[in-house]
Amino acid sequence: MKTQFSFDFRAIQLRITDGSTNPHMIYIKEHLVRDHTADKPSGRTLFIVNVPPYVDEQSITNAFKEAGSIQSVHFSEKPNTINSNTEKFTLGSCKSSFRVCYLVFKKVASLQNALKLKELQPMNLDKHIFLGINKFIHEYNEKVIKPMELKNRIEVFMKRCDEKIKKEIEKEKQLEQEDDEGWITVTKRSKIQSFARTEKVENKIMSKEKKSKKKKELTNFYTFQIRESKMKHIVSLRQKFDEDKKKIAQIKQSRRFKPF
Amino acid sequence: MVKRQMKSSTTDNDGEINILNENGKRPAEDANKENKKRTRIKNLYRQPTAKELNRLHETENLFNSNLFRLQIDEVLDEVRLTEKTTKRFTVWFNSFREYLLSITEDNVEYDLSEKTLAKHLKASLPVCEKLNKTKAMFQFHKFKDINIVGSYDTGTAINASLLIDLQITVPAETYTKNDSINYRFHKKRAAYLAFIASYLQKSNLVEELKYSWCNMCVTKPVIDLKPSGKLGNYLTVRLNLVCEEEAYKLHRFSPGRNNLRESWLLSEKQENVSEVGPPTPYYNCSVLSDITANINNNFIKETLSNSENLKQAIILLKIWLRQRKLCVSGHIISLLVCCLVQMKRINNIMSSYQIVRNVWIYLKTSKWDTEGLSLCKSEDSPHIEQFLEHFPVVFLDKTGYYNICWQMCNGTYNALRRESELAVDMLDSAKLNSFIPLFMVPISNLTQFDHIVRFQNLQKLKTLVLQRVSKEDKINFGVDELPLVVNNIYKLLTKGLTDRADLILQLVEADFSWPVKKTPEKCKNVGFEEKLSFGLILNPANAIKIVDKGPQANLPEAEQFRLFWGDKSELRRFGDGSHVEACVWNADTFSERRAISTQIVDYLMKLKYDVPQSEIFHICNQLDSLTARKMAACEQSEELSVKVLQTFEEIRRDMRALTQLPLEISAVYGTSSVFSYTNPLPPLPSTSDPRAWRRASTCLIKPPQADKKLYLPPYAQANKAVIELSHSGKWPGEIEAFRCLKAAFHLQISERLTSQYSLPSQAYPTHIDVIKNGLSYRLEIFHPKEVTLLRREVEDGVVKFKESEESIRIQRDTFLLASLRGALHGLHQRHSAFGPTACLFKRWLSSHLLCPSHFPATLAELLTATVFLQPEPLTPPTQPTVGLYRVLQLLVQTDWATQIIFLDFNGDMTPEEIMEIEQKFSNRTEEDPVMCIVTSYDGAMPSIWSSSAPSKQVATRAQVLAKATLAYVEKALLKDTNDNLLPVFVPSYSGYDILIDLNATIVPYFNERIDARPKLPATIDVTNDVIPVLEFNPVEKYLEVLRSAYDEFALFFYDNYGGDVIAVLWKPHINDIREFQITNAHALVPIEGSDKKFKVNIEAIIEDFKILGEGIVKDVRNNS
Repeated sequence: MKTQFSFDFRAIQLRITDGSTNPHMIYIKEHLVRDHTADKPSGRTLFIVNVPPYVDEQSITNAFKEAGSIQSVHFSEKPNTINSNTEKFTLGSCKSSFRVCYLVFKKVASLQNALKLKELQPMNLDKHIFLGINKFIHEYNEKVIKPMELKNRIEVFMKRCDEKIKKEIEKEKQLEQEDDEGWITVTKRSKIQSFARTEKVENKIMSKEKKSKKKKELTNFYTFQIRESKMKHIVSLRQKFDEDKKKIAQIKQSRRFKPF
Repeated sequence: MVKRQMKSSTTDNDGEINILNENGKRPAEDANKENKKRTRIKNLYRQPTAKELNRLHETENLFNSNLFRLQIDEVLDEVRLTEKTTKRFTVWFNSFREYLLSITEDNVEYDLSEKTLAKHLKASLPVCEKLNKTKAMFQFHKFKDINIVGSYDTGTAINASLLIDLQITVPAETYTKNDSINYRFHKKRAAYLAFIASYLQKSNLVEELKYSWCNMCVTKPVIDLKPSGKLGNYLTVRLNLVCEEEAYKLHRFSPGRNNLRESWLLSEKQENVSEVGPPTPYYNCSVLSDITANINNNFIKETLSNSENLKQAIILLKIWLRQRKLCVSGHIISLLVCCLVQMKRINNIMSSYQIVRNVWIYLKTSKWDTEGLSLCKSEDSPHIEQFLEHFPVVFLDKTGYYNICWQMCNGTYNALRRESELAVDMLDSAKLNSFIPLFMVPISNLTQFDHIVRFQNLQKLKTLVLQRVSKEDKINFGVDELPLVVNNIYKLLTKGLTDRADLILQLVEADFSWPVKKTPEKCKNVGFEEKLSFGLILNPANAIKIVDKGPQANLPEAEQFRLFWGDKSELRRFGDGSHVEACVWNADTFSERRAISTQIVDYLMKLKYDVPQSEIFHICNQLDSLTARKMAACEQSEELSVKVLQTFEEIRRDMRALTQLPLEISAVYGTSSVFSYTNPLPPLPSTSDPRAWRRASTCLIKPPQADKKLYLPPYAQANKAVIELSHSGKWPGEIEAFRCLKAAFHLQISERLTSQYSLPSQAYPTHIDVIKNGLSYRLEIFHPKEVTLLRREVEDGVVKFKESEESIRIQRDTFLLASLRGALHGLHQRHSAFGPTACLFKRWLSSHLLCPSHFPATLAELLTATVFLQPEPLTPPTQPTVGLYRVLQLLVQTDWATQIIFLDFNGDMTPEEIMEIEQKFSNRTEEDPVMCIVTSYDGAMPSIWSSSAPSKQVATRAQVLAKATLAYVEKALLKDTNDNLLPVFVPSYSGYDILIDLNATIVPYFNERIDARPKLPATIDVTNDVIPVLEFNPVEKYLEVLRSAYDEFALFFYDNYGGDVIAVLWKPHINDIREFQITNAHALVPIEGSDKKFKVNIEAIIEDFKILGEGIVKDVRNNS
């Protein structure tokens, strides 16, 4: 599909310190898409592919220091994903992997400078990146929270949740009102009882229907039905026989019948 | 029948196609296929024929199942002699017979005490040196004919390592009336054999000619020959001599008679003093076996002729015996079957399955050792009681004089009985397809026995034992010393081990053959060694008794007890007020208690036969040192686990009694492996670290200072458990809110634990840490609603539930793991070897760098559980070391591509469920697990524990490693008697591309490595009030980072238990040239000279290993 992909990136080495001998290549180009979002404005955003896992915002800023001042940095695992803004209570640690990065400069000129750069600055000159054992220790210590802090966080979060639910209820109440064409939406909390629209309930209803249909039928009543059921028994025996034969063939194939 | 059906279906097909052709329509390819389908359905519904109905019913009634019947047919087909072989053999035999019959009579009389005959024949006499003092005059009389006898003759031969018995009947005039005594008979027989051997030497029909002792009996030589030409590759021929019935009256050899004079055997005086000594039934039988051979062979032939089903049954029984390596000859089995026919317990109308089943049922209840069995119906033969007095096992032949089982030791008979019982049980269990374990699985000594006692210096042992044997026995057994020694030691072990051992079986390796030109003694000195060992299957309940209670002190039996046990017997008073004689053995830990049998054997051998301990080699508990924690003065993992469990019990009780909670705690379940005794390194009570700093009640790690050496607290594991709260409908319907509320609960429980029981505890959003008795526990609330919320998806306004990765993970790690952990804990209570076995297996896996991410720990536990829940054809092991061998064997022998293992802990799975799962996995795809193990707790997600790992490659590697390990262990223990098995736990780094060396100081469990020295524990201060640094494993973290970042390029292998090397293996396509894609440009670098070709930047990745592992990695080496 992507055989005709035109390679319009610039490859450039990204070193972590001055001493790095075998740095990774990153690939940069101007971020060009049809719909630019506010956080990735057109003309000022640099699109970077293949950013190594240990790179963080500060280090990428360090690397592009010479091009101009930077407004913001976005990382994501895949290009063109929209960051969902749902609030989370538990903060998952981000997976370390190669990522893409959107670098937004303050000025349009800086982007052009960046695209012309021959060499990037080492990222970790100021030794700000926690790496290896330091990183793990830091992470561990950060995870331990004082009970008071935890309590506050819970309270704040619950308050917001409650508000959200309140809003939803109000919204539903509004829906229950008769609209312009005289329709009423039936919701969970409305006075008119309805069943929950879940898969389980639907399946239940369907199976009930089937059962009631079956009940109405007579089985083993007419002679032909008895004959049929007998035949069915034989058929099932035959089927089992066939299955076993298949199994044997399978075992035979794996040469399991040589006892010694 | 199968063939017939297939034929009929094809003819049906042809018929229809023909009709179509006649109508002028040419059937297209598609139509043809459709036709086939239609005929298949038609076939299924066609009118049944009487024959078919019969077969279907027969299968239901006469055989276990269809599958069983088909399998029997297949295996019988497999072992049937090929027509080619029989044809070739017939040709060969005819010319062989012609040649042998051309032997001429020799009129010269030879004195057998001189060497004239051997010189004349240019072949040695196959007699052992002890018979040299026997004097006899020998003259060769020509025999009448040579016959095929035994299994080939009756049609019950097995194609693998085929041995065809030929038999020459020695004319009666060869022996004189007095030859029956003092081995004259045997010597003449040997001379006769030498005559034939020397004649055969000149023949070109024979490629190889050897003497060998028949059934390891040194008075009964036979000729083993290899036919020339291709035939020799398929079979060997055994030439045996028997004697005409008229030679002697049978009553001369009745069990009460003496035929071996004491003066001959014990002193070197003149031979012809005719004083009569004690009865020599053993010696008598050695003569009788020749005299009665023809009668018994004819009887077998007569009974089996035209009885195909009986023959098939005998073949099946022979396969069954051979897989079990039981020393019960086909001859005995044939006679037993004939005897049962005579008793009308079986007949030829029965199917082979029914016959085999009936034979097993008979054997299971038989009492050959106390009541005996006789084929003879006449009244004038000696009474069976007489035989029972002298022989351990009695099965009399057609004449009533010859005990067919004269050489059988009680151990063999007990093994036979036990195996029959197991076989019947296997047939009766509905859940098991018993065919494979019954007939297809070979049983090795190493996996079968919990304990093998091996005697190192057999010659010395023989002399030591013979010094202490009664004169009567010595005369009875004559020059056949080995069976006498075996019988005596067997008796001693049986008496000493009482009910500790379910089975004691002698394992004798003394099959000996030598070229006809040499004497046996000369050949024995070169590279041949008789080996004697005893295999014990221990009784799990009784084997761990510390005290052997004897009779009450005032009874006369007490004196005997004291006599038997010597100084070990002490008078003791027990809790129930009884004063009894008792022996007390030294054992504190579980592992020592399991090995009490070694103490008993050592003690008794020293006491009774003065055999030093250094000459007894025990194959028993070699690997126990691996389940000990070296940091805790080698305390066994079992004992440490018990401590964790006891404290957990207390915490559980405390938790349930917590007050002032909005919801009550209804249950707490452990999920860590330590709760089922399967953690090789259970957590130790920790001390609060003086160098740590703290936040609330938890220790923190001090970040490294620039100038100081990094200090890390010792690695501490948390014992994980889940909390179940009582029911409530008020949980929020949104996942983040739910988790927030969960955190609130954690907080509150933690507060209550501290205030109500003053236990230090710390709440987290995801769990609570609490410490008691120095042991840390990590508790987490589990509620099914969390899973439901994660699975919830709205589609077209309908709520649907779909499994997501996270929902599966949560379900697996909390709910499923908790119930599985409970079941495994129960399994350990039933079989105390389970826990240590699982520990050993986990350590073995890990030592070969197959860490849990490659081979999940729970899967390892389940594999071990399989050995205990489905031990067929064996019984569950009692020794963990043996358990490990069995797990490895299971790993090797299972064909993982087709087989599924069902672990039904409580018998909850219905056949329908099993069928359904079998169907599901019958055609496996790439996504299905490589190793299918389904437990009864898996529910909607069968084989969940192996769903993510192992990969096919890892599974294959594990199998290869297991095979190599077993081969090494077998060689080391059974051949070299080498105790050190630790090399099995040393990994090989060859084949890996990159090795990452780690800083030893930060490696957890570095002191628990296999080659580490044990240490004394630091003094434990249990009263610490701060939770130590928990679950901080930098190496594991580092591996996590590596795996998540470089998963597409490499695999990482590591030994979790103290390994200081991470082995990296590049994936096969790492060096391929790639195209650039925005979504998949990871670690690519352009190839110089062309701007559109890319490759993976391996050098940069290697540098990344160093960058990411700062402070952890010492060095990164290229291994190729």
